Amino acid sequence: MRLAAVDLKSTRLGLAPGQSVPDARAQVPDLELREIDRPWLARVFADFADWHSNASPLVTVLEDSAAYGDLVLDIAGVTHLFGGEARMLDTLLLRLRRLGFTVTGAIADTVGAAWALAHFAPGILPSGEEEGGLANLPVAALRLPEPEAAQLARMGLKTIGSLYGRDRKGMEARFGTVVTRLDQALGRLAERITPRLPEGELSAERRFAEPIGYIDDVITTARDLAVGLSHHLADEGLGAQTFHLFLYRVDHKVMTLSVHAARATRDPGHIAQLFAHRAERLEGEYDPGFGIDMIRLVAAVTSPLESRQITAFEAPDGTDDLARLYDRMTSRLGREALLTSVPVDTHMPERAARLVPILEAPSAKPDKAGGPAAERPLRLLPRPEEVEIIAEVPDGPPIRMIWRRVAYRIVRASGPERIEAEWWRSGKTLGLLLPATAAPNSVAAMADPGFTPEDVLRDYYNAEDDGGRRFWIFREGLYGSMAEPRWFLHGLFP
Amino acid sequence: MQPLSTLEALRQSITTIENRPALGPKPAQHQGQGPLGLLSPPAGLLHDIYASHPRESGLALGLAFGLVRPLVGGARHAVLHLHLAADGQEIGLPYAPGLSSFGLDPSRVIFGRLSSLSDLLWAMEEALGCRAVAAVIADLATPPKGLDFTASRRLSMRAASSGASALIIRYGQDRAMSAAHLRWAVSPALTQPQAFDARAPGRPRFLIELERSRLGQLDGRVEGTRLLVDWTHHGFICAETVTPDRSPADRDPQRVAPPSGSVSAPLGHGLSQTG
Repeated sequence: MRLAAVDLKSTRLGLAPGQSVPDARAQVPDLELREIDRPWLARVFADFADWHSNASPLVTVLEDSAAYGDLVLDIAGVTHLFGGEARMLDTLLLRLRRLGFTVTGAIADTVGAAWALAHFAPGILPSGEEEGGLANLPVAALRLPEPEAAQLARMGLKTIGSLYGRDRKGMEARFGTVVTRLDQALGRLAERITPRLPEGELSAERRFAEPIGYIDDVITTARDLAVGLSHHLADEGLGAQTFHLFLYRVDHKVMTLSVHAARATRDPGHIAQLFAHRAERLEGEYDPGFGIDMIRLVAAVTSPLESRQITAFEAPDGTDDLARLYDRMTSRLGREALLTSVPVDTHMPERAARLVPILEAPSAKPDKAGGPAAERPLRLLPRPEEVEIIAEVPDGPPIRMIWRRVAYRIVRASGPERIEAEWWRSGKTLGLLLPATAAPNSVAAMADPGFTPEDVLRDYYNAEDDGGRRFWIFREGLYGSMAEPRWFLHGLFP
Repeated sequence: MQPLSTLEALRQSITTIENRPALGPKPAQHQGQGPLGLLSPPAGLLHDIYASHPRESGLALGLAFGLVRPLVGGARHAVLHLHLAADGQEIGLPYAPGLSSFGLDPSRVIFGRLSSLSDLLWAMEEALGCRAVAAVIADLATPPKGLDFTASRRLSMRAASSGASALIIRYGQDRAMSAAHLRWAVSPALTQPQAFDARAPGRPRFLIELERSRLGQLDGRVEGTRLLVDWTHHGFICAETVTPDRSPADRDPQRVAPPSGSVSAPLGHGLSQTG
């Protein structure tokens, strides 16, 4: 076991990260040790990173080397909002220090140089002076793995400056990463960061002098931002399908609300309405903490949206209205609340119509000419229900039926319509997909009704009882074959 | 002409006061003179459809779609069917191939599966406000607690102002307080055997009673009218009209023209077989 991190006091006592625990204990007998909780740290740093996107949209956490994460902000083009680089660094560090964190920071042209400075010589490195600025720092400042740094030090290469003139090929052969890291730090090799939050193509934001808390205020702000954003979108001739609303809390957490539109839009009223509906569904999820001090609205999936001219002789076909209705309903009720039926080319009745969320439905195709030849019931039970049937053997129509503990006398029946397993379906015979794990409300549970028949065929009858009710009943299997056939009620005719 | 237009103006003002759809000389909406005209009511009404038991859910849905089909067309091309997610197994779900064999284009029907009645009512109101929606059908397996008179009044006013129809399918013998414009009760009836197969069930047959109408009296007394109708791809046709004041001689089967805005009805041999 080794020390992952030490606090200020233990540093003064001569402890350092990387030391083994027995060593450290020998040096400081009353040392207090705690196990490092990496998942928790990762979570906290993720929150930090999200929250810091109020300073710059491109934020990420470097997790490769240090015990604690390192936040990296790409501040190109945003420093003027804080009054210069120095003021920005001060502002960000001060905010964290006020919260009781120990933090150092640096600004440089490259991620590598900024990391080196932040860890060994906090400050700001003017552009283009990487070589000079880093020369006196130890090689560990290059974000090297521990053994590699130790090996370099053993060879007398203690500072970064001592690496400058060395033979690159030799170093590459001996050490894995040092050449790459050096190039990255000096800006000879580009190092990209992957921002944690979805990168919006266009955004609008508002900061508050006093933190706000009420969801109504948030929605009002979202409406205002949507107006601004729609002007941006209109200038570029774009519309967006997905909108994210980032709420930056005072206590360094970020809440995200996302809404999706059925088709690209830039209508601020519509966007605001979607967020209002989404907010109605939040209930417990919305927790402003000590307040929200910034809100950013981001348009994510943009596509060209031409402005349309309304002609005098064109009757509205209602498609837009319908798309808006879907948006409003799905934003409040959830994506799986509104479904449409997609025909599937199969014999199996329960597979022949698949319900898919309307926003993901393929664009409507014209129906096959004629449709199915055989009559199909208006209602289908998601799971066929087993019924007791008295019928003539071997394949006479049912005569009496008991369904849900009520007896019916069947007076007329047409059939049988024989439906057999589709042999091309993975070699199995008539087997249904089992939705055993699916939640009762999920789409899967509706799409694949669950009952576990044997691998046999079905004979469907359209049966009418003496009161005029019509049922769709099937027999699974044949009389006289291996197992006794079972009967199921599968649908209801009008 | 003078007296007629005065009458019309009066009707208009009463309509606006009472928030009803306009009545009066609108023959286009009531194409079938006689009892069958009842089965193609104007748009913008709230209907209650009662069946006595959930096992007749297919029948109730058939009546609902039969009433809705003439309304679909033009800019109003969508029909919403809303049900509670918990009711699926009890009453069954509308089945797209079944819709096409019933004579309705399944791609026009959107299914809403909701978790609570309040969501369902909200969705219903929201959908009624949409200009592209012809009708909203709510399918409720159990007597709804939250759907009281006030809620149905809201729905009926919303439907009247927007011009989309709302239909609520319920089951049971009890009739809840409702502001519905029309209340239907539907029960099964033995079908006519098919000509080529006497043992097979025939066309869907409905015994429909118009229990209640707030529309006023269009042609004589309509409340209490019982109709025995068959469904074909061209709409309802009379099988037999059972009214107490009619003599059996009047019970000739009669036929009506197909509804004006019918969708996807494969025109063909149907009419020749209706006699």
